[in-house]
Amino acid sequence: MADAGNTPAAGGDAAGAGGAPADVVSLTVNGRTIEAPKGTMLVDAAKAAGIEIPIFCYEPRLGAPIGACRMCLVEVEGMRGLQTACSTPVAPDMVVNTESEVAKDAQDGVLELLLANHPLDCPVCDKGGECPLQDRTFRFGPGETRTVEPKMHFPKPLDLSPLVALDRERCIACYRCVRFSQEVAEDGQLTFQERGDHTEIATFSGDPYEGRFTGNTIDLCPVGALTSNPYRFVSRPWDIKNTPSVCAGCSMGCNVEVTERDNEVKRLTARPEPNMAVEEGWICDRGRWGYPALRSADRIDAPLLVDAVGRRKVLLDRAVNEAGGLLGGRDLRVGILLGEPVTVETGFLATELAERAGNGAGMVRRMGIPGHGLGPLRDLPGAQMHHLDAADVIVVVGGDPCAQQPVAELRLRKAHRRGARVVLAGPRPTALDPACQVLRTTPGHLQDAAPAIAEVLEGSARAIVLWDEADLAAEPDAAATIAAVVAGTPGARAIELAADVSGPGLRALGIDAPGDLLAAIEAGEVDVLVTVQADPTTGPDGDRWSQAIAGVPRVIEMATYRSGLTDRADLVLPLLTALEDEGVLVSMTGRAQRLRPAARECPDAAAAWEIIIALTHRLGRPVPDRTPAQAFARLAAVHAPFAGLSYGALGTTGAVVAASSHGGPAPRREAPGDGLLVVPCTPVFGDATAHRSDALASVLEPTRVGLAPAEADRLGVRTEARVRIATPHGEAVLPLEVDSRLHEGAAYLFTGDPQAGAMRLLPLDRGPVRAVVGVVQREEVSA
Amino acid sequence: MTVAEIEQYLAPIRHEYPDPRSLIIPALKYAQGDAGWLPPEAMAAVAEATGFSQAYVESVATFYDRLYVDEVGRYCINVCVTLSCMLRGSDELFEHIADYLGLDGEGTTDDGMFTLARVQCIGACDRAPCLQVDSGVQLGPLEPADATCLIDDLRAEPAPARYDR
Ligand code: SF4
Ligand code: SF4
Ligand code: FES
Repeated sequence: MADAGNTPAAGGDAAGAGGAPADVVSLTVNGRTIEAPKGTMLVDAAKAAGIEIPIFCYEPRLGAPIGACRMCLVEVEGMRGLQTACSTPVAPDMVVNTESEVAKDAQDGVLELLLANHPLDCPVCDKGGECPLQDRTFRFGPGETRTVEPKMHFPKPLDLSPLVALDRERCIACYRCVRFSQEVAEDGQLTFQERGDHTEIATFSGDPYEGRFTGNTIDLCPVGALTSNPYRFVSRPWDIKNTPSVCAGCSMGCNVEVTERDNEVKRLTARPEPNMAVEEGWICDRGRWGYPALRSADRIDAPLLVDAVGRRKVLLDRAVNEAGGLLGGRDLRVGILLGEPVTVETGFLATELAERAGNGAGMVRRMGIPGHGLGPLRDLPGAQMHHLDAADVIVVVGGDPCAQQPVAELRLRKAHRRGARVVLAGPRPTALDPACQVLRTTPGHLQDAAPAIAEVLEGSARAIVLWDEADLAAEPDAAATIAAVVAGTPGARAIELAADVSGPGLRALGIDAPGDLLAAIEAGEVDVLVTVQADPTTGPDGDRWSQAIAGVPRVIEMATYRSGLTDRADLVLPLLTALEDEGVLVSMTGRAQRLRPAARECPDAAAAWEIIIALTHRLGRPVPDRTPAQAFARLAAVHAPFAGLSYGALGTTGAVVAASSHGGPAPRREAPGDGLLVVPCTPVFGDATAHRSDALASVLEPTRVGLAPAEADRLGVRTEARVRIATPHGEAVLPLEVDSRLHEGAAYLFTGDPQAGAMRLLPLDRGPVRAVVGVVQREEVSA
Repeated sequence: MTVAEIEQYLAPIRHEYPDPRSLIIPALKYAQGDAGWLPPEAMAAVAEATGFSQAYVESVATFYDRLYVDEVGRYCINVCVTLSCMLRGSDELFEHIADYLGLDGEGTTDDGMFTLARVQCIGACDRAPCLQVDSGVQLGPLEPADATCLIDDLRAEPAPARYDR
């Protein structure tokens, strides 16, 4: 698998892939001869040779160096004065000294000045112990200050937003947060105000700093000026353990670091060593502050058993025994339904369980989109996120990555800044619209954008098309046409904006969508239903599932959180969350990455793979695995996409699974009946995790219906109304939002919170559907 | 101050500013003419007229002392306290004015007529100690009694139609 994306340099090498090796320059640093590619900044060249030059403001991910902090001053022979190593590129035969008396004096001087107004309140600072300012002062600083004047004081701290706290006294005015806001997120919100020692970070007229990526400023801040409100005073660095893992918030698969203390997850940050092929060190606020969901009230904290005595909590061992009992009967027909997040190991072990339970012919299915007709798109050459850094044309077809896979937005913005042509085709307004070219399509007619897309792609050499799984599954004709356009463009590659976290991994195992399982349940052909992190009753066609499941003799639910199934289940087994679990998730770009257990908050919960392994023992036909690593090794041996992979090969940054064949095109589908075509939308802060995390309460987005003004007029309402939305699959009463950017003739359904029941209104296969929308009468509202 | 008014003001001078960022200052100065200071709505209008973010426009405004982001009085009296003026008695001058206005140091009078501030060199060292009212000529050398007259005169003036500071 060609996969050169794991080093910061790879972003650049993608551009020159296959070209001549970059020119190498040889220079002398502190008397040692070192080599570095032409164009490398001195600070990086030295670092690669093991020589540390202290920095604060330098951060290549924020764009060209700006030389703001002067921490990196070094002596370069033949150049007048000292040079900032962060913005001085290497040159042949350069002679650099980072340790001479002059350089040392400069380092002392800069640190002394940076500390002149710094409060030195390290003992009460969240950053203390993991603070670059502290570290560099110890290592490079003067040790003493000559300042006797009183320090600058600001009232502390200030809430920049409910999530980010600002302690202005600690700020060293390095510009990192400002550059992130202005140049990476491009939200334009953070700036400096005032000047000199009065300089402070601020937003316009004190408004809260709002956005989807605000937390990255905390990771970037080299001092304790920006801190996380939910993590404020929670722990000291010597009391914590950091574990590299992967965010299971969406199919992006951002690499994260999880902070544990006292067996509780206390924090989630980007990794100090970013995965340049995935998130590039940026994570979204939903991923960052979703962890308090682990402690939400609806977490299932003990196994529940319903028997002759009634419904009660039991010990895990007992519960597994009971489950074994329920699955043991030789003629039982078993169905296993996998939701999300489910690791590939759990998926694989579920198929093994199906062979060992009941009649040995159990069905294992995943919640998710069948995707008939997506074959032509899935067969296109794939790409990783860092390939966007070198693309000349980027087209997003359908979906809204800004909301569904938030961090993808930052990579798209980066490409756009670099000069790539970024085109967005689809029926939804997105956060990228103001910056990029928009091909707005009528809902249900992505197909119409095909000629324009073909035109955009024409003549491109390194185009990348990001296509939305859900939208194109609903419009197979568009899928086929667009796939043909991309296939006909030399050098063009594709990325699937996968709808769910587990989908890509489970599909690689050959696990299908649940249509036939539901049919079997309805036909009375399933005796025991096992769900793993799946609650179909709140998912697409949920009402039909509810009815069907009511008739299943036995239901075993394995889940982290209480769901619509919990009261129905005969046995409930509590599962760990992705942050506590071990295993592999496959991202939307096909990158297999390891989850590593960071904590285990709930002592009576277990990993799904543990429970399944125990069940196979209980059933008398044990699988040989004791760990997810062993299960992975076994599945890699039998499932071609994973061939040759092992935990070792995945390392810390993962590896790309091989593509498998995906089948042919499918004909166009029309939504039957009357009414408005439903356009499902995923708000960033609207999913189940966001609803469960108290940290995200301030940014939560409601489940709602969006209509164009003309549609709202037709109903005779403006805003502040509640509407009833009904499809052939169910109905719901939701708040209305009128937005002039929305299309007429469509009902934009902002789903997310499973409790609000909006997903139920969609067809099981997420195909096209129409809805009748009507105003709810006042009496109904009060009733 | 509307966006259209600012745009209209900028139209004939835009070409003088090849870097559009430089346009922010004349736009802010113009917008300040309305109320004598820059309420958030005025900065928001400048942001729209110049195409920069509101936060960026505010950061420019806060950088410069004579762009006022907090409400100030009808007249801004800026007393120079740099070396020449200080040697020639600017402290006494400042104290006198503060006393006369009933202020405890820098600040704005309760009737909203005057804002008193210490400023750095206003380029009239030959006339030390001196002060400047808004963007008027530097006045000096001033005895405390001269300042009293000046304030009395200003009080008698009608309110300016637009502010130039
Ligand atoms: S708040 Fe932190 S990141 Fe922002 S300028 Fe100050 S020190 Fe730098
Ligand atoms: S973009 Fe997705 S994977 Fe990345 S941090 Fe956000 S929710 Fe997690
Ligand atoms: S790191 Fe070089 S100037 Fe800040």
